[in-house]
Amino acid sequence: MENILAQSAVRPQATAATLAATAQPVIQLRDIEKVYQTKTIETVALNRVNLTIHKGEFVSIMGPSGCGKSTLLSIIGLLDEPTSGVIELDGRPVQSYSDKELAALRNQKIGFVFQSYHLINDLSVLDNVELPLLYRSGVGGRERRERAYAALDKVGLSARTNHFPSQLSGGQRQRVAIARALAGNPEIILADEPTGNLDSVMGEEIMDLLLGLNRQEGTTIVMVTHDEQQAHKTQRLIRFFDGSQVQ
Amino acid sequence: MIRHLFTLIWNRKRANFLLMAEILLSFFVLFVVSLLLVNNYHNYRQPKGFAPDNVWEFNVDPGQDTVDRKGTLRRLVQELQATPGVAAVTWTSSNTPYSFSNMNTDQYRYKDQKAPLTEVYDADDEMVRVLGQKVVAGRWFDRRDDAATHTPVVVNQKFAEAMFGQESAVGKVLTDDKRTRQWQVVGVIEAYRSGNDFAANEAALFERHVLQDTAQYGNNTLLVRVQPGSGAVLEQQLVRKIKAVTKGWDANVNTLAENRQDKLRIMLTPLVALGLVGGFLILNVALGLFGVLWYNISQRKAEIGLRRALGATGRGISRQFLGEMLVVTTLGVTGGLLLAVQFPLLGVFGLPPQVYALAMSLATLLIFALTAICALQPSRTAAGIHPAVALREE
Repeated sequence: MENILAQSAVRPQATAATLAATAQPVIQLRDIEKVYQTKTIETVALNRVNLTIHKGEFVSIMGPSGCGKSTLLSIIGLLDEPTSGVIELDGRPVQSYSDKELAALRNQKIGFVFQSYHLINDLSVLDNVELPLLYRSGVGGRERRERAYAALDKVGLSARTNHFPSQLSGGQRQRVAIARALAGNPEIILADEPTGNLDSVMGEEIMDLLLGLNRQEGTTIVMVTHDEQQAHKTQRLIRFFDGSQVQ
Repeated sequence: MIRHLFTLIWNRKRANFLLMAEILLSFFVLFVVSLLLVNNYHNYRQPKGFAPDNVWEFNVDPGQDTVDRKGTLRRLVQELQATPGVAAVTWTSSNTPYSFSNMNTDQYRYKDQKAPLTEVYDADDEMVRVLGQKVVAGRWFDRRDDAATHTPVVVNQKFAEAMFGQESAVGKVLTDDKRTRQWQVVGVIEAYRSGNDFAANEAALFERHVLQDTAQYGNNTLLVRVQPGSGAVLEQQLVRKIKAVTKGWDANVNTLAENRQDKLRIMLTPLVALGLVGGFLILNVALGLFGVLWYNISQRKAEIGLRRALGATGRGISRQFLGEMLVVTTLGVTGGLLLAVQFPLLGVFGLPPQVYALAMSLATLLIFALTAICALQPSRTAAGIHPAVALREE
């Protein structure tokens, strides 16, 4: 099994302009608005956001806290619904999809990586990585195991399969979370501040892993980050301020 | 998914231990309550062995009158039998059906076989006409027994099986433990559950007593079978006759139906009390389970969000929480069943095996229903948690 971490640094990076010209859009947001309403306050989290992300693109989203980055990621990840606007995945609008259809789309097309890893502490590393496949029909126990082993091998954690999250360092936990995202073989990875809880060395390691995935596997990655340096390693940087795209 | 649930529960065994222990204890309480209910129902379904309808019980008390008590009683029986509306009269011991009196002994022997604890009744030739016992082998007492060398007895099937196994009981001679007395079985009746409607079919033996001049005076209870529909008019008529024949003996009358109701009320009171205590306990357990599940879900919101993100539907989340609860229940019930099965193996209450099996099944069913009901609402709540919100919980 190819180890992404080992090879990520040697592959050339495609430019955003090249991709825009050749690749088809995988995510399209049109006039997306998200308003949180309570009895007394109305908060606009996203204001008429238009965004197209092409297949194989690595996009980073930056902005101050509370500017709507995570809300945007939730909407792209079909975890939240916009107040208005259209989301298209592979050219198909998803607003009319049922809970079951949205769950299936999330399971098959999207992999999530979170700042706080979101590993289940009572499950071993292997069981954690198997999780997305558990919700996919037609994948048997043996296949689940094999794909989970393969994903862990990709992130260089094949020796830690029987460990529990509490026995791992922060960087290792995030690699497990990436392996979990990879196990389902998704077209898109949505990473919400994946290095936010890590020191700079670990952060670099995770960033290299994501870059390797994008270059070698052609995985589309949308990453929310506060780290300017890491954001500049991606093909496109989108800046947000007060719920609006400013760049 | 089932394997995943078991893995999750096993890895959380410390956290789930108290919950499992609570389910185990609840199962055990339910098992004991079920055992009581099933056993009573099992007994209730057994043949009574006699017909209590239209039977009146007269208790006569001669008081200070010591003159020719047997002769007076004999005349009284004859007078009552001759009364229109009376079908039959029997003179018997005080342990009549649904009375609070009983006589039992284990003195009977057949060869080396010792009898179980046996309820003993005094009976005359007419009793079978009054109480309608169903004779399944041999016959009831009659004049042929006047010349018997051993005291004639009629036993129930329970006694016959315990003493003679597959052999025919009729003609067998029983002795007492000192071999000083002998009884000969002349007939076998199907059953005789006279204590109350929920009484077990215990071994029973009827010993023939007739109102001869040589007979010992002791019994002063008369059971009278009357024509269906007889009421207060006949009752007054019979009481007047008793007064007239006995010249002032005290007499009181009850129907067996009234005695049955009285006994039932007394039997049911502790059962209802026990049922209430059991019900209250189960309610507490249910509230406890409910609380634990609410807490569990509030603690696991981030996990719920994660699972939704990874492809679980709302219904899938609900099923998972319900499934986890059922796995915990299965483990608790397995422990409870291991304890419960010791009862029949060790013969603790001496009940039939099918009663234990039914009680275990009932308790299992109840505890699963209870946990499923308690888990339903929290699981639905878990399903309704918004994934984006849940993911922000940590």
